[in-house]
Formats: sequence, C-alpha cells, structure tokens
Amino acid sequence: MGMRGKPVFLSPKTYVWVWMILIFLTGLTVSFAGMDWGRWGMVILLLVATIKSSLILNYFMHLRYEKKIRLFRWIIPGILLLLVLFIGFTFLDVVFR
Amino acid sequence: MTGALMMVGSVYPEIKIGCFGFYRLLKMKYYQDETSSKMGMWLFLSSEILLFGGLFILYSVYRFKFSHSFHLAAEALNRPIGTVNTLLLLTSSLTIALSISSLKEGKRSVSLLSLIATLLLGLLFLGLKYVEWVEKIDHGIYPNSPRLLERNSGEILFFGLYYSMIGLHGFHVLIGLIVLVIMGILIIKGKVNEDHFIPLENTGLYWHLVDILWVFLFPLFYLIP
Repeated sequence: MGMRGKPVFLSPKTYVWVWMILIFLTGLTVSFAGMDWGRWGMVILLLVATIKSSLILNYFMHLRYEKKIRLFRWIIPGILLLLVLFIGFTFLDVVFR
Repeated sequence: MTGALMMVGSVYPEIKIGCFGFYRLLKMKYYQDETSSKMGMWLFLSSEILLFGGLFILYSVYRFKFSHSFHLAAEALNRPIGTVNTLLLLTSSLTIALSISSLKEGKRSVSLLSLIATLLLGLLFLGLKYVEWVEKIDHGIYPNSPRLLERNSGEILFFGLYYSMIGLHGFHVLIGLIVLVIMGILIIKGKVNEDHFIPLENTGLYWHLVDILWVFLFPLFYLIP
C-alpha cells in the first residue's frame, strides 16, 4: 500500500495460485534431493528456495505492489546484498587462509 | 563547569524534540499512519534477516569445511516431518494472507476463521517439531550428549547448528502464535477492523518472514545433497 493510497487488494484466487506454485516447488525440491546432482545439488536447492521466497515476498508480502514508496522495494534487496557481502568476505578469509 | 553547561545545552534540544514527538504520538493515537508503521516493520524484518544471516554464514563456513560429515549427519534427520512442516508453514502463509484480505473487505468472521486456521497450522508445526526433537533426544543426540561427543567434530557442529537455528526459528513461530492470538482477540473486540488493519498486516509480514526463513532452513538441514 502506498502513502495514503488505496490498500492492496489481491483476489483470493491469486493467493491460492501462488500457494499452489509454492507447494509444487516444495515437491520439486524434495524429489530433486533424492537425485544425484553432485556439486550442483546445493545450487539447485538454493535456487528453488530463492524462487519460493521471492514469490512470498512479492505476492504474500505485497512487495511487488509497493509502488509509491521506492524505499520498501530496496530494503530487502539491500539487506540481502549486505548478507552476500558478509558471506563473500568470510569465504575470502576461509578459503585463502 | 562550562563543559557541563555545554552538555546540557546540546542535550536540551533533543529532550525538547523527544517530548514533542511523544506528545504527537499521544495525539495521533487513532490515526493510521500506514507508511511509517510498515516501514518500521520492514526495518525490524531486515534486522531479523541479519540475525539469522549470521547463523547462515556460520553454517556455510562449517559446511564448506566439513561437507562430508554434514551430509552424513543430515541423513539422520527426519525428512518426512521436515517436508510436512514446510507444507504446513506455506499453507499458514496462505491462510493469514486470506485473513488480511478478507478483513480489508470487511468480512470479519471469515478473517477470524482464517486467523484461527493459521494458528492451528502453526501449532501443528510446533507439535511436529516437538515429536522430531523428542525422537532425536531419545536417540541420545542433543548438544553435549555423550553419544554425540563420540562422533567427529563435523557432525557435532551440524547438530549444534541444527538445534540452535531450528530452535531459534521455532521460538519465532512461538512468538508469532502469541501475536496471532492477540490479533484474534483484537478482531473479536473490533479494535482491529476494516478501517484499522495495519496491526494484522504487520503480523502477516512477520509470519511470512518466518515462513521464508523455513524455506531456506528446510533444504539446508533436511535435504543436503
């Protein structure tokens, strides 16, 4: 919802659709885990988890519809960028020690 | 003496502004300032992400160092329970989203029912967590247990992270459940309604974040390839 704007109305249908996709992706993750992907297994699992969380953020948490105030849309990507930086520097330290 | 005076001089405007802010807060008791309360909620959620982020960093470093024993230890976790818990939390996210949208449309009873459904799903999640942990503890696997200490350090670290991260997440679910109960009471009393729904909406944001954290915890602990 934007500043003094109308509240976000999503039809229940949209929520149910998003929920079904989330359930489908969970099934996909669990069946992927049974297969042997070698080194790529973790990457695939994390990729599916990222898709799932972006669905939750955009539809359930309405981040997609926060049009009027741009800051809302930057808080989460900003924090995630910070986290990636932390992890990146930690690994630089761990790998090259 | 001059220093003290200068300090008072510099602090005084802050006190004045602070008091004025508090006064304004009192006056604005019934004014729904959507943007700032949601902004506050998002800032709180980002601090939560950083709180768990630290643990995720710890996890990824130890997983890098002990990838084989992490894989072995993860095999011991109960994958069916983890999967069912994922489905429960995802569904509870749906029900709270429906609860918020029906409250906005003025359908209070539908909203209340969806809220109760969310509460029950959350309780089931914690119940399954309890079953899972009791099973683990019965097998003698808990922090510092003699049986765990016999294993190699990678597996000890895995279970340490398992208990602390999943436990912290479970604690967040518990707090969420308490807030859900409070919201239910406020809806019944009519204090949270179609004109004043921000508390419920912020509760929803928190609940969805707890769900997102689980979306990452589940593959990291139960599905390690």
